[in-house]
Amino acid sequence: MSEQSTHNAYEEKAKSTFSAERKEDWFVLVVAAITVALVLTGVIGPNFVKSLFFH
Amino acid sequence: MGSGGNSGGIGVEYSFKNLPKMLPGLLLCAVFGWAALQWDTTMGGWNRNFKEAEKVLKAVNEGKAPADYAEYKQKHADGFAKKTEEFKAAEEAFKTAKAAGDKTVKAPKKPSKPTVIAESDFNSVTQAKSIPGNLKFGNLMISFQMTYVAVLLLVGMLIRNTIGIAEVFKAGTVAARPLIKPGIIILGAYYMWSDVLKVGVFGLALVVAFVMGTQVLISFWARRAKVDPGLAGVMGAGVGVCGVSAAVAVAPVVNAKPRDFFYAIGTILLFGTVGLFTFPYIGQALGMSQPVFGAWVGTAILNTAQLVAAASWYGHESLLTANVINIVRVGFIPLIVLWAIYFYVVKPAVEAGHEGQKINVWEVISSKFPIFVFGFFIMVTMNEFGFFTAEHRSILAHELLKLFFAIGFAGVGLNIAFDDLKKAGGSAFIIGVLSGTLKAVLAALAVMAIGGDAFKIKG
Repeated sequence: MSEQSTHNAYEEKAKSTFSAERKEDWFVLVVAAITVALVLTGVIGPNFVKSLFFH
Repeated sequence: MGSGGNSGGIGVEYSFKNLPKMLPGLLLCAVFGWAALQWDTTMGGWNRNFKEAEKVLKAVNEGKAPADYAEYKQKHADGFAKKTEEFKAAEEAFKTAKAAGDKTVKAPKKPSKPTVIAESDFNSVTQAKSIPGNLKFGNLMISFQMTYVAVLLLVGMLIRNTIGIAEVFKAGTVAARPLIKPGIIILGAYYMWSDVLKVGVFGLALVVAFVMGTQVLISFWARRAKVDPGLAGVMGAGVGVCGVSAAVAVAPVVNAKPRDFFYAIGTILLFGTVGLFTFPYIGQALGMSQPVFGAWVGTAILNTAQLVAAASWYGHESLLTANVINIVRVGFIPLIVLWAIYFYVVKPAVEAGHEGQKINVWEVISSKFPIFVFGFFIMVTMNEFGFFTAEHRSILAHELLKLFFAIGFAGVGLNIAFDDLKKAGGSAFIIGVLSGTLKAVLAALAVMAIGGDAFKIKG
């Protein structure tokens, strides 16, 4: 592989990586926001997680 | 960022189009995560019952044991009722003092329900004078730190490298790893800005000294030892800051050779995996407190998923500290890329008498900054302004956090493939292991010298 094509391949890889990571960051921000909203509105209460497991 | 962040670069992009491809693996991680949390619930319960059974056994040996199970239960119920009454009185006094502007009175702590062992266990302890085997097992597992984190990582790794995971699950298990990030964000509900700033200042000092230090050290060392600049650049970014993500970001800047690049990735993964499984035991052997351990792994482990897993493995307080250090650390990725551009492109060009390439600083920062950390800052600010009650904090920063982490750690465990780790090699291996180990040892000495008070999150 020539130096230029290697460089281009990495450039492409870095671009796609950071574009995917940016999407991923937006996704996790939305998931976190929904979670917080559910807790603040009381939809998820103190017994929610406990109810998912056998005691 | 880190491995949570790396996943985007390893073939799965979050989009509706990719959802069918990701769903089977995500469900697998959810089921695996649930099973590990169920293990945690059961072992935790057995461990608590073991401690209570020990107390009963001691009372039996001293001839002070309750006459029967009914008396034993009643004694605990009466004790709890008394503590609850005292709590209510203290809460009233606190409210009155608060209304009068007296800030010296501290909020009382709600008493937790007492542990009461089952009748069969009680009979076993009082009659046979022996603690049941399942309670002993629970105690043993907890003393070996075999929590849900360890189960997910060890069992996940075992599955991946023995029976393997079917192709249909692979994309989803990779996509599960970033679910650690919502956990990191909602953990922000536990912090006040004073905590973040206090630990952040120490974190900043550690990051500048060790993370940036590693990058700079490798750059100069490699130049003296005539190591290929491409390899040195990738390793400096990878070992110094944020594992694979940083290496990917720096590779095009420094023109790394494909073979060196893959050696570097293999070495970074290998070092992180070894650290993840050994650091909790090293920390325990060195007698590190939870905040000190958190500061150590926050500095020495190379990526988010691995350090969050190691810190959670050690304990919640450790996680609280490690999280702040990590937030500071991932914020340094753009700076590392800028350093690489300067050191490997601009400086050599200027030294060779050419005009140096102009660096678009804002473009680098805006494209490389991990924006999920803003979510964490928003949560801390909301907590500072009193949006969350103690109950909200407990649900978010303890219970839901574990759900997110369990799914994410399932993805981490199921993606530790020995084949990937075998790719470590060449000069990358020597540079990575030497600099990574040196960083870990020096960071351990530094955080132990600074001490736990500096890193403790009060919440």
